[in-house]
Amino acid sequence: MLPNRSRLSVLVFLLPPLLLYGVAVLFPILQSLFLSFFSWNGISDMEFVGFANYVHMLTGDGVFWRSFFNALGYLAICLVLQLGGALFVASLLTSLRRGRELVKTLYLLPAVISTVAIAFLFVRIYSIDPVGLLNQVLGWIGLGSLERPWLSDVNTVLAAVSAPEGWRFTGLYMLIIYAALLAVPQELEEAARLDGANRWQLFTKIRFPHIRPVWITTTIMATTYGLRGFDIPYLMTNGGPGQSSELLTTYMYKTAFTSTDFGYASTISVFIVIECLVAVGFILLMLKRKADA
Amino acid sequence: MTAQTAPVTRPIPAPPSSPAMRRRRRKPNVFRSLSRVLIVLIVIVQVYPLAWLFLTSLRNEHDFATGDPFALPSSISFDNYARAFQTGNLGQNILNSFIVTMGANLLIVLLGMMAAYALQVLGFRFSKFVRGLFLIGIIVPVQIALVPLFIDYSSINLLDTYQSMIIPLAGFALPMSIYLFSSFFEYIPRETYEAASLDGAGPYRIFGLITLPLSTNTVVTVVLVNSIFIWNDFIFANTFVLSEGLKTIPLGLQNYIGAMGKVDWTATFAAVCITITPLLLVFLVLNKAMIQGLESGATKG
Repeated sequence: MLPNRSRLSVLVFLLPPLLLYGVAVLFPILQSLFLSFFSWNGISDMEFVGFANYVHMLTGDGVFWRSFFNALGYLAICLVLQLGGALFVASLLTSLRRGRELVKTLYLLPAVISTVAIAFLFVRIYSIDPVGLLNQVLGWIGLGSLERPWLSDVNTVLAAVSAPEGWRFTGLYMLIIYAALLAVPQELEEAARLDGANRWQLFTKIRFPHIRPVWITTTIMATTYGLRGFDIPYLMTNGGPGQSSELLTTYMYKTAFTSTDFGYASTISVFIVIECLVAVGFILLMLKRKADA
Repeated sequence: MTAQTAPVTRPIPAPPSSPAMRRRRRKPNVFRSLSRVLIVLIVIVQVYPLAWLFLTSLRNEHDFATGDPFALPSSISFDNYARAFQTGNLGQNILNSFIVTMGANLLIVLLGMMAAYALQVLGFRFSKFVRGLFLIGIIVPVQIALVPLFIDYSSINLLDTYQSMIIPLAGFALPMSIYLFSSFFEYIPRETYEAASLDGAGPYRIFGLITLPLSTNTVVTVVLVNSIFIWNDFIFANTFVLSEGLKTIPLGLQNYIGAMGKVDWTATFAAVCITITPLLLVFLVLNKAMIQGLESGATKG
C-alpha cells in the first residue's frame, strides 16, 4: 500500500473500470436473472411468470435438451482436439531440435482468422459438389464410400461443426502447454532417465505432474470456451438440419432474436452461466482429488 | 524371482558402458525422426486449409468448378480480387474494424491499468472482493450480455453505433487485462514507490511518472492479444449493428458470402482472403511478441 494514498485516489482509479465492467458484464448478468422470471417479447408489457420459464425449460422443452446434449458433444470433441492434440504436438515439439519457432507460428495461424472466414472455409472443405478437400482425400485413400455431404447428414453434422473450433484453437493450447513443458527442470528428467525410466514413465511421472497447474488452467479455458461456442455452428448450419447441430448458445440466440422471446432466452442464458460455473468447479474438484491420490 | 535376478543383471551393463550407451543414443534418434515426420504431417494438415484458401482465390471460375481441389491453379488471375473489391464494401468494413479495435483497446489498456493500480499498488480493504468480481467476467460466457444489452441499448438509442460494440468487447476483456497488469505491477519494487512518496509524489504522479512508463511491454501484450479477438468479433457486431456503414469485417464478409457465396465462388474466396490478410500480416510480423503475449496471457490467467 502506498503511504500517502487517499480514499479518494483509490476511487478515482477504481471507479471508471468498475463502471464499464458493471455496465457491460455485471449488470447484464443480474438483468438476465431478472428477465428469466418474465415473459416478454420486447414490445408488449412484461408479465411476471415466476419459475414457469425454468419449469418449461427443464421439463417441457425437447429442443432445449437436444441442444444441451449437442453442446456436451461439441465440448467433448473440442476438448479432445484442442487439449489432446495440443499435448501430443507439444510433447513431439520438445524432441525437435530445429524449426520449433516455425512450427509454433504455423500452428497458431488459424487462431488469428475470423470465425466467418473459418466457417466459409470449412463449408467448402466439407462440400461434395464441387468436391471439397475432405471428400477428395477420402476418395484417394480408398474410402470413397464415406464420401458424403458432411453438413447435411444428421449423423455427422455435429462433429463437422465441432472440428473447426478444435482446429482453430489447438495451436493456442499447444503453445501454452509447450511453454510449460520447457519449464520442467532438465536435471529431473535426466535423473529419471538414468534410473531407467522409459519415455512413457518420464511423461506420466515427471512431465505431466510438473505441468499440472498449467493443464488445469488450459482445461478450464478450453471448457469455458467450448461451452460458449457459438459462431461456427451458427454460421455453418444455423443449428440444422433440424436440430442436429443446435447448441444451447445458438438456441438461446434464436429464441431471443428470431422468436423475440426475451424472457425465455434469458432463462436459457442463466442456465449456460450456471453450466459454466458448475463445469469449472467440477474440473477443479476432479483435478484436486487426483492430485491428492 | 525378479528380486533374485536383478542384482545379477544390474552390474553387467555398468563396466562396458559403450554398447549400452550406443543403444540408448540410437533409440531416441528413431524416436526423433518419427516425431519429426509426425510434426510435419500435422503442420501440413493444420495449415493446408489456409493455403488452399489462397490458392483457390487465384483460380478462375471454370478451373474451380471442374478441377481437382488439390491441383495448383491452371493459371493465376487476380480478377477475383478486383471483383471482390467491386461488389463488396470491404474498404469501409476494414475501417470500421479498425475504429472498433482501437476504441476497445484504448479502454482495455487504460481502465485495466487503472484497476490494477488500485488493486495492486494502492490497495484497499475490499480488494479481494473486487478481484473476485472481475474473475466472474473470465468464466461467464459473453452470450449472457446479449439480450440485456440489446434491450438497454434500444432504450437509450445506442443500438447501431460503434459504442454498442466497443462497450461489451472492452468489458469482457477487462478482467484479463487487469490480471496481466496486476501481475506485472507485482514486479515493480516497493522501494521505488516509497522513494517517490518520500519525495512528495502523490498516487496520481506516481501512476503517471512510474507505473505508466514502466508498463510499455505489458501494454503491447494486452493490445496484441485482445486485438485478435476484437478484430474478429462476430457475435456483438451481429447483434447490435444493422446499418451497412458500421459493419465490421466479419459482418461485411458474412454479407458478401450471403450475397455472392453461391454465385461467384472464386471471388468469395478472394474476399475471404482480403479480410484475413491484415491480421495475418500483423501476426507474421509480430509473431514473437504475439506468441509471448498469448503464452503469458494464458499461463497467468
